[in-house]
Formats: sequence, C-alpha cells, structure tokens
Amino acid sequence: MTPIDRIRNFAIIAHVDHGKSTLADRMLQLTGLVGDRTMRAQYLDRMDLERERGITIKAQAVRMPYRAADGGDYVLNLIDTPGHVDFSYEVSRAMNACEGAVLLVDAAQGVQAQTIANLYLAVDAGLEVIPVLNKIDLPAARPEQVAEEIAALLGGDAADILAVSAKTGEGVPAVLERIVERVPSPGGSRDAPLRALIFDSVYDSYRGVITYVRVVDGEIRPRMDVRLMATGFAHEVDELCVISPEPVQTGVLGPGEVGYLTAAIKEVDQARVGDTITAGADPAPAPLPGYREPTPMVFSGLYPVDSGDFPDLRDALDKLRLNDASFTFEPETSAALGFGFRCGFLGLLHMEIISERLDREFDIPLVTTAPNVRYEVHIDPPMRADDEPAVLEVSNPADLPAPNRIAEIHEPVVDAMIIVPSDYIGAVMQLCEGRRGDLSKMEYLTPERVELRYRLPLAEIIVDFFDRLKSQTRGYGSLDYEPAGLAVADLVKVDILLNADPVDAFSAIVHRDRAYEYGKRMVNRLRELIPRQMFDVPIQAAIGSRIIARETVKARRKDVLAKCYGGDVTRKRKLLEKQKEGKRRMKNVGAVEIPQEAFVAALSVGEDS
Amino acid sequence: MAAPSDAGVGIYLHVPFCLRRCHYCDFNTYADREALIPAYVAALRADIDAVAAAGPRAVGPPGSDGRGDWPTFDSVFVGGGTPTLLPAADLAGILRLVAQRFQLAGDAEVTVEANPETVDVEQMRVLADAGVTRVSIGAQSFVPRVLDALGRWHAPDAPLRAVEACRDAGVDQLSLDLIYGTPAESDADWRHSVRTALQTGVDHLSAYALTVEAGTEYGRRVRLGTATAPDDDVQAQRMEQVDAWAAAAGLARYELSNWARPRAESVHNGIYWRGGDWLGIGAGAHGHWRGRRWWCMRSLELYVRAALAGESTVAGAEVPDAAQRRAERLLMGLRLRHGVDRQQVAPVDDVVVRRLADAGLLTATDDRLALTSSGMRLASAVTLELL
Repeated sequence: MTPIDRIRNFAIIAHVDHGKSTLADRMLQLTGLVGDRTMRAQYLDRMDLERERGITIKAQAVRMPYRAADGGDYVLNLIDTPGHVDFSYEVSRAMNACEGAVLLVDAAQGVQAQTIANLYLAVDAGLEVIPVLNKIDLPAARPEQVAEEIAALLGGDAADILAVSAKTGEGVPAVLERIVERVPSPGGSRDAPLRALIFDSVYDSYRGVITYVRVVDGEIRPRMDVRLMATGFAHEVDELCVISPEPVQTGVLGPGEVGYLTAAIKEVDQARVGDTITAGADPAPAPLPGYREPTPMVFSGLYPVDSGDFPDLRDALDKLRLNDASFTFEPETSAALGFGFRCGFLGLLHMEIISERLDREFDIPLVTTAPNVRYEVHIDPPMRADDEPAVLEVSNPADLPAPNRIAEIHEPVVDAMIIVPSDYIGAVMQLCEGRRGDLSKMEYLTPERVELRYRLPLAEIIVDFFDRLKSQTRGYGSLDYEPAGLAVADLVKVDILLNADPVDAFSAIVHRDRAYEYGKRMVNRLRELIPRQMFDVPIQAAIGSRIIARETVKARRKDVLAKCYGGDVTRKRKLLEKQKEGKRRMKNVGAVEIPQEAFVAALSVGEDS
Repeated sequence: MAAPSDAGVGIYLHVPFCLRRCHYCDFNTYADREALIPAYVAALRADIDAVAAAGPRAVGPPGSDGRGDWPTFDSVFVGGGTPTLLPAADLAGILRLVAQRFQLAGDAEVTVEANPETVDVEQMRVLADAGVTRVSIGAQSFVPRVLDALGRWHAPDAPLRAVEACRDAGVDQLSLDLIYGTPAESDADWRHSVRTALQTGVDHLSAYALTVEAGTEYGRRVRLGTATAPDDDVQAQRMEQVDAWAAAAGLARYELSNWARPRAESVHNGIYWRGGDWLGIGAGAHGHWRGRRWWCMRSLELYVRAALAGESTVAGAEVPDAAQRRAERLLMGLRLRHGVDRQQVAPVDDVVVRRLADAGLLTATDDRLALTSSGMRLASAVTLELL
C-alpha cells in the first residue's frame, strides 16, 4: 500500500487529436513502465476500433511508479478518459476519480470546443488543472498565442504554461514534475466504511466483468464481500489488481488508490459507471454523489438484412450489452423490415461504434433506420383513452399518435458550444439557424476566434450536423454539447406511402416547416431507388391524411426473353432460377418489391441531393 | 417421363458456320472457318448415323424403358449459324441421310435457316428436292443503318431476293426474322421494316427484341459505353406495333415472338414450347428425350474429332427433377398464345393467378394459363411470379 501523500491521481483532457494518447505513451516510457521496444502507439487503447479511429471509447487506468526530482518515490495514477461528447458522463466519473487534470491543447489548433467542455467538467469535479501546450514541434505551432488563449480561459500567467512535444518527448519530464508538485494527494479515511467509485467496467470473456475503481474511503481486499449501492448486487471480490501497465495482483487497495477487481459479475450492467462499492459487512451510510442511470439519447431500428439472422442479432446485442451498459435494445416489428430491435445510444458516435462492432465482431449485415431522438408526447385530454397515460415517450416515429390526438410534443434540446475562426461566424450562424438553433451567446476568445452558444434541438444535430460544421468551416469548427432538457416544438410525422401503403421504416418526425422538404427529398430518392414493377407505384409523403409530395415509379413495360434460342432450355431455366433467388432477397412492402440495397440507401443518413 | 402426346417429335441439326459474326449474336457459330466445312459435313453425317443406330434408349433418361424403335418424326430443323453456307449438295445429302435413317411423317416440316446473302434459286431447287418445305430467312431489318448497327452486311433488299429465289424453287412456306429496339432504329425505321416484310406475303414472321448478351460484340460495346442498351419502353411499344401490323396483314400471334397465317405456325419450334422430344445433332446442339436433356460439344474441332472417331459427341446431360420440369413448362409454355396446361405447372398459387389476372396480364381457365398481350411484354416477370 502506498502512503496516501505519495499518490497523485490525474487525467489528461484534450480535444480529439490534440495528442492525449501520445502524451500517455511518453509518460509510460519516461516512468520506465514500457520499454522502447515494447512500445506501440496508443498503448492504452485496447479495442482495434479505438486505435483505428484514434479515439478512446473506454476509460483506462495505469499506475506509474515515479521517482521525482525531490528524490521521493511517488505513484502516479493516470486515468484515461473517453474523448467524445457522447461519453461525457463517463468522462465526468473518470474525473471524479482524480484530483488533477492535465489540460492538453494543440499549439497549432488552439482551444477547441471539447477543450472547454472538458475543462468545465474538470472544474466541476474540483480538479487542479495543469495546462500544457502540445505539438510545439509543428511548424504551424503558435505557442504564445495559444498560451494566451488558455490563460484567458483559466486565469493565471501564460508564461507559466508548460510546452511539450508528446511526439518527441520534449518537455514531458516537466509535466510529470508539475503533477507531483501541484496535484493534491487524495483525502479519504482508511478507517471509514469502504466507498469506492466505479469509473469504468469492461467485459472480459474469461474473467467476467472487470470493474475499475478508485477507493475513496476504507480498503478493499480479495475475498471481501462487497455490495454495489445503486444496483444492490452483492459479490465476493475475487481478483484485485493494479495495472502497471500489465495487471499485477495486490492484497489491498486503500484510500486514493486505483485498480480493478473481478467478482463473478457477469455483465457490465451490474457494475455501472458511477456506482459506489461498499463493504457487505460494514456498509457506508450513503453512496458517493453523482450516480446517474445511463440515458440513451439517440434511437434507431436495427434489422437483419436476412430475417433468418434475427436470433443471431439478438445474441450479438446481448453480448455487446455485457460490455456496454449505456446501450439499450428491445424487440420491435416493422411491417417493412420484419423483426428487429429498437436500440438506444448515447449519441451518434456511440451508434456508429455499435453498428460497426456488430458488423466486425458478429458479421451480421444490418439495415439501420435513420436515427431519431425520444419525444415526449402529451395526449390531448379529450382524446385520451381511460387507460392511457397523459404523456407518451416515443422513440420510434412510427409510434407517434395521430395528429388530432396530440396536444403537444416536447423534444430534447441541447446547449451547443461551437468554436470557430471569426471568418466563419456567418456560415455557422446560417447552419445553426437552418437547424432551428437559438443563439444564446457569442464571445471572442481572441480577436480571431469566437465561441458561439446555441440552443439546438438534439434531433437537428444527430444527422450530419457535425460534418456540415466541419465542411463549412474548412475543418476549423469544433463542437461540444450537453443535454438541456425538453422544449415544445411544432413537430409532425411525415409518412411515406408506397402504393398507398405506409412504410413504417421511412416515417420521420420533423418540424412542420421542414416537412415538405423532407417529404420531397424522400420521395425523390425512393423514385430513383425502387426498380420498376409490373404496375405503377405511386410514392407519396403525407402528414396524416394530407399528401405533401408525390412521385411515381412508372410500370415496367417490358420484361421478356424475346429470343428463345433453339433447344437450350437448361440455360433459360437456370436464368429463371437465378432471378427467383434474387426475388427472394427483395423486401415486399405490400405488392412492391424493394431490393435490400434500396432500403439501406434510402435510410442512409445525410441530405444529399 | 413420357412427352405429352400432342407435343410432337423433331430433329434439330446445327451448322455452326457464318460468313461473319453479327454484333448481337451469342449462338454457337464460327466465322472464317469454312475450311472445316467438309470435315464438319462428314462428322454430322457420322453423328446422324450413330444416333440413329443407338436408338431411343441411348437418348432417354437412364433406366427408361424406351422401345427399340424411333417414332415417326414431325419435323427437321437445320439451324445455325448459317446452314446455307454449306454447299447445297452437302446440305441436301445430310437431309436425305436423315430421311433414310429416321421415319419422317408424310407432311413433316423440314426447315432450313438462311441468311439472305447466301440464298439463290439453284441452291433452293436442290434443297427442295431433298425435302425442304420451309425456309426461315434472317432479314432483321430493311434499314441500312440498323443493319449496320447490328453488324449485318447484306444489302437491305437481299431478303426480298431470297424470298423470290425460294418461291421460284417451289418453297412457299417462308418466314422472315426481324429484330427490334436497336438504339439506331427510329419509329419510322421499324414501321418500314415490318411493312416491307409483310408486303412480301410470307406466311410467318418472327420479331425479336434486341438483347444485350455477354460475350458478344454488342455486349462489349455496351459495357465500354460505345453503344447504348435497348430501351425497354421503346421495345415494348415496338412489340405492340408489330403485333397490330401483323394482325392487320392476316398473321396471328401464336407465340411471344412469332406470327403466322393459319396452319403456317412452326411445327418444330412448337415442339420446344410444348415440351416435346427432339434429337439435337451437331456442335452445341441441345436435345430432349422423355425428360432427359443433353447437349453436344460446342467446339468445332472437338465435335468433328469425336464424331469421326465414332465416339459420343455429348458434352453434358441432365434429367430435371419435378420442380425443374415445372419451371421449364412454365417458362416455355407461357410463351404460347394458347398458354400452358395447368396440370403441367401445378401447383400454382391461386392468389397470384388472380392478382395477375386482375392486372390484365394473365387469362386463367380451369385447365389453362395464358398470357394476355400485355402479359407477353412482361412474360419473364409473370413467369417469375407463378414460379
């Protein structure tokens, strides 16, 4: 056990691509934990997906023994945090496991939206913030200006800000020294009942769930009976380890210490991020503050391309859920797509990650319906059935009640922070106003860089908002946002009808002013994607019974093998059999046959054409 | 399984030589190989002898109890390629050999396919003498630029002279082939071609939609983007036009692509469409006997070598199972104006039949299913629905 005054728990917080993982890599080398030969880039990112995308999806913790310039031996616990707005709750829990944070800023790009958002989380968590400029080796680096931006943000002296190149290692030793100097040692009492914060949990197919903890009070030992205070699960601690950088068993974790335990926990849902572990024999009177149930914000239907894959999809989702408690799913049926699941995600990136993992780890081709948010629908009292609740939660547009029954629809909104070079203010304002945004604040961080604050409907930013922002600001714009509750909006459901039958998978809830545009776009897109049938296929967009857009796929007029050469019947029969096989892979919507690819293309996110 | 008794029995002989290859053609034929003609004639004769001697048991399905004797044949069809590229005496000799080795009905239809530029009166006299009763002439179009686009090189009026030559030689049962929907073809071009064909007074007309086939010059050009594919809507319109014009000239549509005066329908092709039996002899020829299908070697050299060595020329065979036979009956039978016997394509889904009938594509009685003329335009799609 390490003396408490020799422990320093810290996180590195940064905007994406500002060099967080590279700095962590250098620290592992400098403290001698990882030799130069065994070093690989982004050492702490375990999933292939993380390394490929250059983002950290799950938090990590590594214990680094460090002999400081003062001759003292310290233990530095680096708690890595996820790097995306979808995971801000996980970020806040990881920060709660720390006393300090290294705020890393790219000396060329300067302060970005996530820099600020993460800084606020760190300040909220009461952390000592150590600002560090990175990438000073880049020709485009402008350390003095960026240091001024940071000083303006944090208060304090720009000259005091450390400058490093995580890539070359230059300046990194000074960062370790400053962590020892400035980050407070943990508080906490060894004699108090056990309270340990779960800041991450990871499923491992051999050992069950690995639960990462930061002990606040008391001690954890192997064989001890523990209880998870939010979920109520009781377990016996099996293995207790620190990561340095490979797991090393330990006999005890005391106040301020960081490590992980295993305890025959079968799924991560039973060891939720933010929950408090206490001792079964001597439980703490109250859990650590700040626990929250994971709340999905973005929803989408996942349907197997081949309906025979449904049981496999269920198994795959079950397995992913073992691993990721923040993602939810329940079975649903679509008239158009058959049996599938309505899944809830923290955000769009989270949704992409899950789809990609399903594809990569389970190899199940899927149709993913366009993402949507969860609406709160207030039913008009005179129209309400006796046994019906006054407020419905709708996370599938097809479930929205008829317009005449709805009193009000409330939609989730977010407070978005956008930082851009001042040249792009106009473009950003135009983008946000087109997305029903309300400007709440505009502030010049420097004469060249502006912070804009908008309140925006979440539904407006989950579809290609970030891509648009990036393209309209030539990549300079950065975005962060946080949920800001619900707001009433004038929303309608646009249904798409093929041959007069509504196709539930294409229904969308959109603002009344945008309904026509949406309907027109879908109808045009479908006209191009649906092959000609034996009869005319009208494609209509409708609000309730009112048609707002219409196109027709004209009937196929000829489909015939005109020449039946001599006696080669075998070849013609084989051709017919092949065509029949192709027909089997079509989805039938009423009498209309739609190739699977057309569904995928029609539902693909984005506002092309 | 026995062939339906009314389906007929025929002999198909293949002649795989052409002066040059047409752009759209994916049949088994070779240009610039005339040097092989004498050997091929000898091979074909040897193969006819061999097939005749082996008897029906050799071509039927394994274990079939085919009797020892050949039945009487209703038709002989010499197709190609360009059968009229063979010296008339050789072709006549082949037909005489067939008549010696097999029993032909007194009124048997004996058809020879011809390209217009390869027909003359003397030759036709020789063929008529050898029993030819019918000539099918590949006109394709009467418009120079359409012929050019198709890769045909006969003069636009060559088919007219060929028709005359046949008549002068005493062959009156004549058919002209046309192809419609070539991208180079205008509405007026099509009208001109059909009108010209009908004005000859032939008693039979075939009109095929141009089709892009992989492995043809046209297919290659479409793939490379130097030629456009035919337009379905245009072809649908052309199909309806030729039907109307042929009807007005007294030729009724009796099959998807074929029109004829009463009793001038092709007996031989009818055997294919009704699921009858026929012997297929020659390179790449297909045959069908009592439920077994087989096909001969496609390669000229291999076919010639095998036939002259007295070896089997069969390259492959199959005995389709019940489901496959049903698919074949549906596929082929629906092409006929009179349609297909419901018994032969059972089971059919009554709901689908009703839906297709309601859509005006199909007529259904208790014992027959037949396409309407709208249905004929969509024959493949309707067949797929019923499959």
